[in-house]
Amino acid sequence: MEMSQPATTGTNVANAKKVGQYVLLLFLTFLVLGPFLLGLWTSLMPTADISKGALWSSHISLDNYVAAITTTPILRYLLNSLVISTLTMLFQVLLCSMSAYAFVFLKFKYRKQLFMLFLMTMMLPFEAEVIPNFSTVRSLGLLNHYAAMVIPFLTAAFGTFMLRQAFMQMPVELKEAADVEGLSHWQFYWHLALPYTKVSLMTLAAYSFLSSWNQYLWPMLTTFSDSFRPVQDGLRQLQGQESFNNWGMIQASAAIVVIPTLIILFVGQHYFKAGLNEGAVK
Amino acid sequence: MAFTHKRWWFTLGMLLLILPLGACARSEAASRTRVVFWHEMTGPGQEQLKQFAKEFNASQSKYRVEPQFEGNYNEAVQKILHTHGTSASPAVFQSMDVSTSQLYHAKVATPMQHFIDADHYDINKISPVARAFYSQKDSQISMPFNTSQPVLYYNASLLKRLGIKAPPVDPSYSDITRVAKAISAKSHGKVKGLTVEEYGWLFEQFMANSNEHLANHEDGRTGIPTKVHLNTPGTQAAMKWVRENIKAGDFIDYGAGSQAESNEIAAFLAGKLGIFTQSSAYISQLLAGTKDELGITYYPHQDGKPRNGVAVGGASLWISNDKPKAVQQGAWEFVKYVMTAKAQAQWQAATGYLALNKDSQTQPILQKLYKQHPSAQVPSQQLATIKANTANSGVFMEGVIQERNLAQTAMAQIYNGTDINKALAVAEKGLNDSVANTNRANHYK
Amino acid sequence: MLQSLPRNSNSKDPGAQSAPVRLSTTAQWSKDNLYVAIFLGPSLLILSVFVFWPMIKTLYLSLFLTDNLGHASVFVGLNNYMSLFNNPAYLSSLGATLMYVIAVSVLTIILGMLLAVAAQQRLRGIRFFRTIFSSTMGISVSVAAIFWLFAFNPSVGVFAQISQALHLPEINWLADPHFALLAVIMTTVWMNLGFTFLILFGALQQLPASLFEAAEIAGVGKTTQFFKISLPLISPTLFFVLIVTLIDAFKSFGLIDLMTVGGPNNATNLLVYRVYQDAFLNGNYGLASTESVVLTAIIAVITLIQFKLLGKRVNY
Repeated sequence: MEMSQPATTGTNVANAKKVGQYVLLLFLTFLVLGPFLLGLWTSLMPTADISKGALWSSHISLDNYVAAITTTPILRYLLNSLVISTLTMLFQVLLCSMSAYAFVFLKFKYRKQLFMLFLMTMMLPFEAEVIPNFSTVRSLGLLNHYAAMVIPFLTAAFGTFMLRQAFMQMPVELKEAADVEGLSHWQFYWHLALPYTKVSLMTLAAYSFLSSWNQYLWPMLTTFSDSFRPVQDGLRQLQGQESFNNWGMIQASAAIVVIPTLIILFVGQHYFKAGLNEGAVK
Repeated sequence: MAFTHKRWWFTLGMLLLILPLGACARSEAASRTRVVFWHEMTGPGQEQLKQFAKEFNASQSKYRVEPQFEGNYNEAVQKILHTHGTSASPAVFQSMDVSTSQLYHAKVATPMQHFIDADHYDINKISPVARAFYSQKDSQISMPFNTSQPVLYYNASLLKRLGIKAPPVDPSYSDITRVAKAISAKSHGKVKGLTVEEYGWLFEQFMANSNEHLANHEDGRTGIPTKVHLNTPGTQAAMKWVRENIKAGDFIDYGAGSQAESNEIAAFLAGKLGIFTQSSAYISQLLAGTKDELGITYYPHQDGKPRNGVAVGGASLWISNDKPKAVQQGAWEFVKYVMTAKAQAQWQAATGYLALNKDSQTQPILQKLYKQHPSAQVPSQQLATIKANTANSGVFMEGVIQERNLAQTAMAQIYNGTDINKALAVAEKGLNDSVANTNRANHYK
Repeated sequence: MLQSLPRNSNSKDPGAQSAPVRLSTTAQWSKDNLYVAIFLGPSLLILSVFVFWPMIKTLYLSLFLTDNLGHASVFVGLNNYMSLFNNPAYLSSLGATLMYVIAVSVLTIILGMLLAVAAQQRLRGIRFFRTIFSSTMGISVSVAAIFWLFAFNPSVGVFAQISQALHLPEINWLADPHFALLAVIMTTVWMNLGFTFLILFGALQQLPASLFEAAEIAGVGKTTQFFKISLPLISPTLFFVLIVTLIDAFKSFGLIDLMTVGGPNNATNLLVYRVYQDAFLNGNYGLASTESVVLTAIIAVITLIQFKLLGKRVNY
């Protein structure tokens, strides 16, 4: 498309530079997309051809997808993940914003110490606490249930920290005016604080949804049936039970799992960018 | 703001819609007693188990068996112990041979003998060698279900094509080395000669076949083990044999775990690997996966020493004692169902695990299999020609999973160049420490 | 969309200083206390039950041998710690983890930076490339593992096919102790790229264009501009990315479980995988608790460093 330009020396150099830039970008694209495209491509090939090491097949089809959907619980896994991640996200946004609100707008004894305590939890990795947590959910009778994968993550120190920063950036006048109007804390929180920090709430929502979606170790320890198993562990399950690799179908399952998240990401990117701008204008 | 609200309510509404969907799927079979069955079978074994459950459910209207795959044998043991007494626990479960001692001591199951007696079940129909593995003081703890033999597979057609003489049916290490070398040389390195997976179970079989005990008190059969041995003349000889093949470049290492097994089978089926040792449970997959003729021999033994025989490997079925009587009864009915002559014959044909019901051998499906693939009989012949003793009846000890990890690591080290003696000594010390701790923590004398 | 993460933690907030002023008089305290209970109570309860209590319990269990049901049974003091640090296998795990963490962080940042700089260019279709570069953010651990397991497969994988075509020695990536960790590192870096790119790209975008115009006029080369202007200016973001990547890498589990199960020869037996192995496969809860405490100590130290350095810019 750049070729129609007059061929002066200057544009030649510029063109050469441009080509160089495109080559670099394409190379990086290849690096980033390579494994994904390879997986996507093999998901369309019959496993028999894949096992021979072929990279081309005359039988390109969606058969592997049909097989994955009809013979494996992959859709059920997706549903489980959707339920778990959505619940986690909703509660995290609610509870984190509530506790952040308390740290910013309420005055109470040991506020500073309590906040330090919250921050401390960011130093304690959940992965190092799975043993006692397992006993806890076991004695609560929550094993093999959505609750086991949601309840421990109803709140998060990180989210509280982030929303506290957001609340602190609200203009002082707003709270003063609300006090004059006689708004209760609940009213101020619900009608002013939350809408005002919409962008941060969205960010936290996206973040908590994704982290819940990507949980692996904890659901692996606490789920024992396909009725509750989320998709990450479902894929592990599918891969583990194919005793000699049905690569085509496994790649198809992976694609089924990844394509919705990619779509959300791409569509969401636009939306969030708009959200960010909106937040900047305010 | 109103917009945001709407969005929230929309999401909440979606959730309310979705949640009952899950509930519906579960309440559909409420009229029957639900019997959750945990297993660790993959591939054709899993398919066959699903088929058994389906047939069983169709054969009666009181119970509904739900098979659930719980990962590999190692994972399942702790899952069983962890969930015991909760609503998540299974009614009937499959657990591997070497976990028997641990589950027995943890008292999580109703002894199988209880159901056998109450039902006047004719247990003599079931192979005594397999039964002995899962009984204590003449009482059946659990029901042997899938029993396999470790064997050696080779690609018979490939050997023919390359003009190599097939190994004898009871090969020594050097017999296999000869064949592996020839494969490598005559294919100009295109086909790898041999692999032995980094797998503690295969390591144990080298010991059993050399008539060596892994644990004292006759592998735990006469008392709780207090000392273990991994660094023995037998294991040294086996590792030296592998090392010899590595040095010559005829050996390929696929690593450990299910990935390794998938990869070695894929390579074997694709004609890129000549020989490997593995469980007989893979026979049906190997027969189905290639047009080449499949060769099977006994597990190889040390040169100049007769084979002592390998242990029956596999797993047994247990009935949990934390479920109501009706559920346990349902579990027992299912166990009986899968142990019938017909089901066991079907099981062997579908997988490669040996049919344990004595009447299975005359079933048409097995007769047909033997006629088509005479080599499919080798594992049963190997078992039939073994004289049972405590060295080849498996280890009755807690913490065998630890042993498997340590042995596996030692194998990985040796395959990658560590001194054999050193690697085995480290593993042995690690296991002895662990056994001492286990005994101390559980107050075993 | 996560662009605002570092911004949030880096930005100065004028509201912070005035926060105490904003609070009402002491007369309202008792009424506020009810709100405190409502607003803070649920979070505090959850954190107590699932974060604080487990830490105490883990510390406690680390001093015991546990029986086959996982209960503390024999008090052994610091014995578990001693045997851990005398165990060459554990020390090699520690070494492997350090190597993994450092390699992952360095490579992620270098490659992420390369992508971010490349995406700065004003070219037609650059938005497309930006979207592509951020795409691995949507790829979860098990999907990534499946893609890469296939690529590393010794019989049909691309790496094997390339080396075969070029007559290079064949590497059995996941079974060779010298390469398995590298394979997992490559996969992790790839997974991390999307997030890192987004954040670094966002930071670069926010740099004032006037600076570069001035530099251009002064005849400063692009490379010098990058190292002397861009890099120092985005160093807070760089630091944020580094910490997040470090902590994430220390907590790696999924890829190990899916790709190598800790092998071969413990070459990829990273700290969290070892905890899982000792607790949920070997049933050795005392030892696994000890390992958990060590892991916590490492992560706590890194987080503290983060707080210290962030504290200079952010008010708690």
